[in-house]
Amino acid sequence: MTLDDLERLVGVEFPVGEFTIEGYEHWLTADAIDSPPLPAGVAHPMYAYYAGLGGMGLTLDELFAMVGSSAADGPMFGEAGLEFREVMRVGETYRVEGGITGAARKTGRRAGVFDIVSFELRVVDSSGAVAAVSTNSFVFPRRAA
Amino acid sequence: MRVSPGTELPVFEVEVRPAAMKTMAVLLRDPNPIHFDPDVVAALGLGDRVINQGPTNMAYVVNMLMAWAGDPARIRALKVRFLDNVRGGDRVVAGGVVTSVAGDGRHQVAECDVWLDVVGGPRALAGSATVALEAGEAARETAAE
Repeated sequence: MTLDDLERLVGVEFPVGEFTIEGYEHWLTADAIDSPPLPAGVAHPMYAYYAGLGGMGLTLDELFAMVGSSAADGPMFGEAGLEFREVMRVGETYRVEGGITGAARKTGRRAGVFDIVSFELRVVDSSGAVAAVSTNSFVFPRRAA
Repeated sequence: MRVSPGTELPVFEVEVRPAAMKTMAVLLRDPNPIHFDPDVVAALGLGDRVINQGPTNMAYVVNMLMAWAGDPARIRALKVRFLDNVRGGDRVVAGGVVTSVAGDGRHQVAECDVWLDVVGGPRALAGSATVALEAGEAARETAAE
């Protein structure tokens, strides 16, 4: 992927998807992540992340392909950011929309050439309000760049 | 307890359970075997214990913030960088410290540095969080000191 190709990714929107916080999945998740007790019906705040990634309108493999990479290239998580605007609720279905917000090529002394691609996912409730915003970045090694 | 710059947040400590990683792998549809197959972890030269999902490490920090704030709705934002792996059987401690406090009219809004440390090991993640505390609560805490 050329630098021009990379920079043209910024602004690309993902297909819209959706995510439902199923009661049994929420129970299992809260147990697995050792959550403190939660108010009845209130989802663990990490669902801002789980709903975003789980409900975005393309798979991670498709996202990696979009940026000219694949899971076999060893992409790594860079940063993760969550903005919590509304309490998310168990049983609710959320629309997930978003797209690529940043792309940059860097060179490290040990890592060589790598690209950092950032994307934002907005988790929208049934009233149309944005309940949460999840921002993530992946680091893509570019050994052949 | 005075909520002011330098206030340390009560820590959240937990032992990382390999069985919980298996649950999360299914819930997240995460096929990466480093989370459930120690033979693959060894074959990749990553040690002999399964590696925790990054979002679960983030969840421990959210748990710490929830326990401190007393209500998941008070957490407004969290941003983290993933620094190192957490493995099955590790004991981890999520902690934080208030770096600034401001008011938005209804709340005292605390900016915090946060982290997750492996006991006897590396810092697994670090970042920042924004937590809204009720103004009256902050005043009571200050008065009670």
